[in-house]
Amino acid sequence: MATARVVSQPAEKLDDSGIVAASLEDPEAFGELFRRHAPRLHAYIKRRLGSTLADDVVAETFATAFRQRGRFDGRAEFAAWLWGIAGHLIARHHRQETRMYRAFARTGVDPAEDGIADLAGDRADAAARSPQLAKALASLSAQDRSAVLLLAWGELSYAEIAATLDLPLGTVKAKIHRARTKLRKALPEEKNDG
Amino acid sequence: MDELDALRQMRTALAREESPDRLALRTNWRSGTPPRRRRSFKVPIVSVISTAALVAGAVVVISVTSSPAPDGVPPVRLGEKGGAHEPGNALLVAATNVQKGPTREYWHTTRITGEIYAIGKSAADHYKLESRWQYDEWTDQSGKQCVVNQDLNARPWTALDKQKWEKAGAPTTVEFPVPEGGMGVLFLKPTRTGGPCRNIGDRQFLGMTVKQLAALPTQPEQLKNALLDIKGNWEAVSAKPGERPIRALKGEKRVRALSDVAGTLLGVAPAPPAVRAAAFRMLATLPGVKAEGEATDPLGRPGTVISLPVETTVPLGIYTAPKQLGTYRRQWIIDPGSGTLLAVRDLVATPPHGSRKLPPGDDGKPRRLTVDTQPDRFHKPGEVSQYEVYAVAEWTDATPN
Repeated sequence: MATARVVSQPAEKLDDSGIVAASLEDPEAFGELFRRHAPRLHAYIKRRLGSTLADDVVAETFATAFRQRGRFDGRAEFAAWLWGIAGHLIARHHRQETRMYRAFARTGVDPAEDGIADLAGDRADAAARSPQLAKALASLSAQDRSAVLLLAWGELSYAEIAATLDLPLGTVKAKIHRARTKLRKALPEEKNDG
Repeated sequence: MDELDALRQMRTALAREESPDRLALRTNWRSGTPPRRRRSFKVPIVSVISTAALVAGAVVVISVTSSPAPDGVPPVRLGEKGGAHEPGNALLVAATNVQKGPTREYWHTTRITGEIYAIGKSAADHYKLESRWQYDEWTDQSGKQCVVNQDLNARPWTALDKQKWEKAGAPTTVEFPVPEGGMGVLFLKPTRTGGPCRNIGDRQFLGMTVKQLAALPTQPEQLKNALLDIKGNWEAVSAKPGERPIRALKGEKRVRALSDVAGTLLGVAPAPPAVRAAAFRMLATLPGVKAEGEATDPLGRPGTVISLPVETTVPLGIYTAPKQLGTYRRQWIIDPGSGTLLAVRDLVATPPHGSRKLPPGDDGKPRRLTVDTQPDRFHKPGEVSQYEVYAVAEWTDATPN
């Protein structure tokens, strides 16, 4: 069956760029990159688009990365390159993502979490605020939303976000500032005291 | 707690990482060979059942609307009270006929929102697709609620659109640009389902609990006065989002907000019959409201049309920049005989044209909203751009599925 088992022994010891280079001769080496990067990327996409679309987008991200690996020049981190590809694919689903936020805001039930058995982890006070946040997320432009969610959900640094979105650092800061201002206004005021 | 922390606490169950082996299986990843793009979604059988149940539900509603009120009094007919062409007359008839059935275990509503998207490059060569989302809500008398969200598959809007879509190769995934800068994708095959009814805590309607709804005034003027106090973000476009009472709005904005609120009271909320009747009467007093004859709703149910011009149809309280370039007419399709709101739909009055200034982007350069990203760019005046249809709104003892 399909696995991400590393067949080529040295791949585990190479860094990401080294594996990309090796995979040009030995395509199977690329599997190590899936093993290293897929879990975190998938978790991030799942949080934005829900489980069903996330599987698809991750599959397409790695398919695209594999196909275009000859173009990866090693100047940027492989992760930023990969997340950049994923970002373009996520942006294709901007409208779908938006309507899930809106449905969440309207009903208090998050359609992205359908099929998740254990939702007890979300604290009650956070759950009470989330529909308001979802409504504010629905209002953000594609890039503003990506920037602030790469920070909050992707746990990337500003520099990594700039590399992923292929934007200047100052632009990323402006986008995140604007998005945070909108989100802050969506929260009930008494809970804005830090 | 700041907004980033609040974001980090959202959707935490989805943030858990899964093992690469599991992911490799699910995404068809094989070492060294590119994974095949998954083209079909697994559709649990439950969705088919729910859709069938919805159709059955719609049929039930049709039969209810044509039968007399449950207390045996035949419904007042249009024209029997006052002139048939008097604006708002149908609303007053509807108010008289609001069903006064008993309160049961659950207030159950099923509603579907639809948006019509033009796919194609020109007015002469395009077809329209209908994107749909279904909400099912059960609220018990204490206000506890469970909800099922269903993302229904998109489909061609008219028979002619279906022909054109088939001629285009009947694609099951269709992409188009959206004003926010990203893309839109419509799936014409069933994509995902709501699954079982999910419980949430106390549901509020317009910021009110079920008890507070029951205590609303039953005279139209007093009801309007109470509704004017409801705080929210009632602006279609506002650079500074914030909560204000409807009373702070003037003119058309106030009418739009009140009409939205009346729609929620009539189509969604478990408001008592006397409050619903007052909501119909209040609608009749709003400036610009007029009767427009007969029409069928998106489920094919016949009703009487009440209309109101609206500048924009975007949901209130979300956007900080304009999204539309046309003007619209909002229509309520009501069944005066049973005193029910069947649907609210928005027709294009003036099709999108020209462009609008947007707040400057990150580089400080001016930006504009343009026609090419408008879903209704090829609509003719009078064509539907979006709708919300209230398929079910009733008290029931049936347990949520």
